[in-house]
Amino acid sequence: MTSQAAAQKRSHIFRAAFLILIAGYFALPLLAMARFAFQNVPMALLTPEKLLTGWSAAGLQTALTDPQIISATWTSIQIVVLSIILNLVILVPLAIVTEVRNPALRPIITALTLLPWVIPPIALVVGVAATFRIAAPWFLASNLSLVPFYALWAMPFTYRLLDAGLRAINARTLYEAARGMGASFPAVMLRVILPNMRSSMIASAALTTALVLGEFAFASLLLKSTLPTEMVTFERSDPRGGLALALFVMVFTAVILGLVVRAMRRRGLTFHASGV
Amino acid sequence: MGAFLRGNRLGLIVAVPFSAFIGLFLIYPSLVVLFKALTPGGAFGLSAMTRALSGTYRSGFINSAWLSLASAVIGGAIGLALALAVKGMTRPRWLHTILDSWSAVASQLGGVPLAFAFIATIGTQGLLTKLLMQLGVDPANFGLSISGFWGLVFVYLYFQIPLMFLVMTPAVHGLRETWREAALILGASPLQYWRSVGLPLLLPATLGGILLLFVNAFTAYSTAAVLNASLNIVPLQIRFLLQGNVITGEEDLANAIVTWVIILLLLTLLLVTLLQRRALRWTRS
Amino acid sequence: MTIVSMKGIAKSFGSSVALADFTIDIRSGELICLLGPSGCGKTTALRILAGFERADSGTMLIDSKDISDLPPEKRGFGMVFQEYSLFPNMTARQNIEFGLRMQKIGGASRKETVDRMIDITRLEEHADKFPHQMSGGQKQRVALARAIAISPRVLLLDEPLSALDAKVRESLRDEIRRLQLEIGVTTIFVTHDQYEALAIADRVGVMSNGRLEQLASPRELYEAPANSFIAEFIGTTNTFSAQRRPDNKWEVLSKQLNSIIAPANGAVARAVIRPEQIALDVRDDGDGTILTISFLGAISRVIVADPTHGHIVADLISADAARLRIGDRVAIRIRDDVTEVVLFGVDVA
Repeated sequence: MTSQAAAQKRSHIFRAAFLILIAGYFALPLLAMARFAFQNVPMALLTPEKLLTGWSAAGLQTALTDPQIISATWTSIQIVVLSIILNLVILVPLAIVTEVRNPALRPIITALTLLPWVIPPIALVVGVAATFRIAAPWFLASNLSLVPFYALWAMPFTYRLLDAGLRAINARTLYEAARGMGASFPAVMLRVILPNMRSSMIASAALTTALVLGEFAFASLLLKSTLPTEMVTFERSDPRGGLALALFVMVFTAVILGLVVRAMRRRGLTFHASGV
Repeated sequence: MGAFLRGNRLGLIVAVPFSAFIGLFLIYPSLVVLFKALTPGGAFGLSAMTRALSGTYRSGFINSAWLSLASAVIGGAIGLALALAVKGMTRPRWLHTILDSWSAVASQLGGVPLAFAFIATIGTQGLLTKLLMQLGVDPANFGLSISGFWGLVFVYLYFQIPLMFLVMTPAVHGLRETWREAALILGASPLQYWRSVGLPLLLPATLGGILLLFVNAFTAYSTAAVLNASLNIVPLQIRFLLQGNVITGEEDLANAIVTWVIILLLLTLLLVTLLQRRALRWTRS
Repeated sequence: MTIVSMKGIAKSFGSSVALADFTIDIRSGELICLLGPSGCGKTTALRILAGFERADSGTMLIDSKDISDLPPEKRGFGMVFQEYSLFPNMTARQNIEFGLRMQKIGGASRKETVDRMIDITRLEEHADKFPHQMSGGQKQRVALARAIAISPRVLLLDEPLSALDAKVRESLRDEIRRLQLEIGVTTIFVTHDQYEALAIADRVGVMSNGRLEQLASPRELYEAPANSFIAEFIGTTNTFSAQRRPDNKWEVLSKQLNSIIAPANGAVARAVIRPEQIALDVRDDGDGTILTISFLGAISRVIVADPTHGHIVADLISADAARLRIGDRVAIRIRDDVTEVVLFGVDVA
C-alpha cells in the first residue's frame, strides 16, 4: 500500500470513529428512554440476564388513552394547523409581492421577519403577561390564543424558505414572462408562482409542526394545556407513561419530517432547515 | 415601507396584515416591557435595570452566559466537524435524510422529551450512570450531576450539535472541491490547505453559528425547567419572577431582565448578520 | 524528448468506463490538446496525471520516473481549472504567491517571481483585488499566473476557457499560447472545443470512449484523419460515395482522385470532402438547390439540398458566392485543384 492510500485510510477510520461516537451520543438517551418506558424492570435490578424480560407497551397505552393527554393532543394539532395557515396566509403574499414588485425592500422585510427571533418565548411571555393578561383576559382564556405567537416564531424560517424558493424559481422573470403573454395577476399567482412554492411551504409546515410540538416555556408559563405541558404533568404521576409518550412524539415527528425530506430530495430539492 | 405603499394597492394589501400582526403580538408587548422596565414604580428611572444586573440576578446572567458559551463552543465545534465529516458522503443513501430530519427534530422539538431522555440516561437511576457504576466509576464523584453546570452542558449539546449542523451545512457545501485540489497541486499539504483556505473561508459562518447557538442556549427554558436544574440561570429567574407571589415592585424586575435579554439578542443578531454578509461575499461567484 | 508517458491507463467509476487503455507520450516543451466530446475521458486522464484520481491499471512516468504513488502536492505540476478555483479569501497577488509560500520560497525571490507573473499576465491593475471583484477572464489569468509561478514541470489546463464568453475566450486562448511558448513549459490542455484545440496545439489528441483515437498535428488531423470518427469530429465534412477504378484511382462525383489512405479492399468507399473542396456551377439542369447562404467575411458558407446526397455544405470565396441566390439550381462538383481524397470503408458507420 502506498503512503497516500494509507493516509486516506487513516482519515476514513478517524471519520468513522467520530461518526460512531456521535451516533452513540444521540442514540444512547433514546435507548435509555425506550428501556425505561417499555421495560418494566427497575434500573437497580437490571442485570445482563434480565435484558430481554419485562418489555411491554403498557406505559404508552396508558398515556395514549389518558383523557387529559388526548385533549391536549387535539389542542396541539389544532394549534399546529392554525399556526401553519396563519403564517402562510400572511407571509406567502408578502414574500411574492416583495420579490416580484419591490425587490429593493427585501432586506428590510427580511430583517423584520427576523424580529421574533430576538424576542423568544421566555422573553415575550413577560410582555404578554403585562399586556394581554390585563387588557384582554378573554383572549388568553383559550388555548388557541397561542396560535398567533407560535406563528410569530415560525416566521423567521418560513420567510427564509419562501424567499429562497422564489429566488430559486426566478419568480420575477416568470412573473414578467407570464404577464407579457397576457396572463392576469391572479392567474400568474395561481398557475405559475404558487405551484412552484409548494416545497418551501411544505418544509416550513414541517418545521412549524416541530416547533409547536416542542414549545414549552410560553405555554407552561401562561398555564396553557398543550401536549408538551400535559406531558410534563402526566410524567409526574406516571414517569413510565410520560417517557413513552415523549419518545413516541419525538420519533413520530422525526419520521414525518424524514418522509418530507425524502420526498423533496426525490424531486431534486434540498431541505434547508436552518431555522434561525 | 413608504415605497411599498405609495400608489401600490398590492403592497398595501400584503403589508398591512403583516405589520398589524407583528405590531400587535410582538412589538406592542415588547414596548410595554421596555416602558415598564424604564419606569419602575411609575416614574422614569434606571433602578430596575441596574437591579436586574446585580446580586442573584447578576449571577444568573453570568451562569447563563457561561452555560451558553460552553455549550455553543463545544456544540459548535462538534456540529461543524459533523457537517465536514458527512460532506460528500453518498453512502448510505439514507444518511442525509436521517441527519436533516433528525437535526430538525432535535433542535426544534427538543425541550421536554430531551429532559426525560437524559433523566433516563444520566439521572441517578440512568442507564449510563448504572453502566459507569458497573465499571467502578461514580459520576457523582466528579461533581457531575444532571442538574449542575456540566450536566446541563451535556444535555444542551443534544440540541446544539444538530442546530450547528443545520446552520453549517450550506457553508460547508459552499467549499468547492477545486479549492482543495488547487491548493494540493500548488504543493500544500491537506493540513496547510485547511489552515490557509478551508478554515478562513468557514470562519465567518462558524462564528455566526456559534453566536446562534449561544442565543439558543441563553433562551432555552424547557430542558432546564423539567430537569429542575439547580443552576441559577436567567430563564428560570424569569419563571420565578412571573410565578412567584413577588413583593410589590418586583414585577418591574422581570421586565428589566427581559429588556437586557432582548438587548443582548439584538446585538448578537446584528453580529450574526454582519458575519453572514461577510461569508456570503466570499462564497458568491 | 519524452517527458510524460502514460501507458495502458484504465479507470472505471462503478460500472462506467472512463478510460480504457489510454496511452500517450508527450514531448518536452510541446502543447498538447486533449480533445473529445463530453464523457470521452479527457478530464479523467488529466486528473489521473494530476494525482486526484488513481488509475485502476497502467503506468505513468515523468522524466522516466514512476509517479503513480506520489500525492498531488509532490508532483510539481501547475493546474488551471474550469472556473471558481481561485481562493476567494485571497487577493490576486496572494493567490499567485500561494504555491511559492508552500514551497517555502521566501522574501525577495518570491516577490520577484510574483511581480514577474503579474507583469506577464498583465494583471498590474488587478493585483490587489479579490476574486469576487474580477471578471471571469481576469480570474483565469490569475489562475494561470498562479499555476506557472511555481515553475511547474508540466502545466495542466482543464477546460480553462469554457466558462468565458466568446471574445474573452479567444484572446485568453492566444495569451495562453504566447505564455507557453515564452516559458517553454510542457502543457496539456483539455477542451471540447475543436477550434480552440486546432488553433493553439502543437499536437491534438482526439479521444472517444476512453481511448486516444489519434495524436497528430492539427493539419494532419484535418487532412489525414485516422478514421471516420475523427474526420467527422474535426471540421465540417460532406460524404460522397467513391468507386475504385481499374487503375486504383477513385472516382468521386465524376472526378478521379488519388486516395490518401485507401480502405483495405472493396470497390466502393466513402469519400470525405471538406466544404472548401466543393465548387458550385449555376445550371438550370443542376440537381441541387441552394437553401441558405451565410456571409462569414472572406468566405461564405452555402448549403445546397441535393436529392441524392442530402445537404451539402460548401465554403466559397465570398466574391464567388455573390453571384448565387437562394433557390438557384446548381451542379455540385469537386474543385479542380483537389487531387487527393480521404476514404473510409463503407461498412464503418
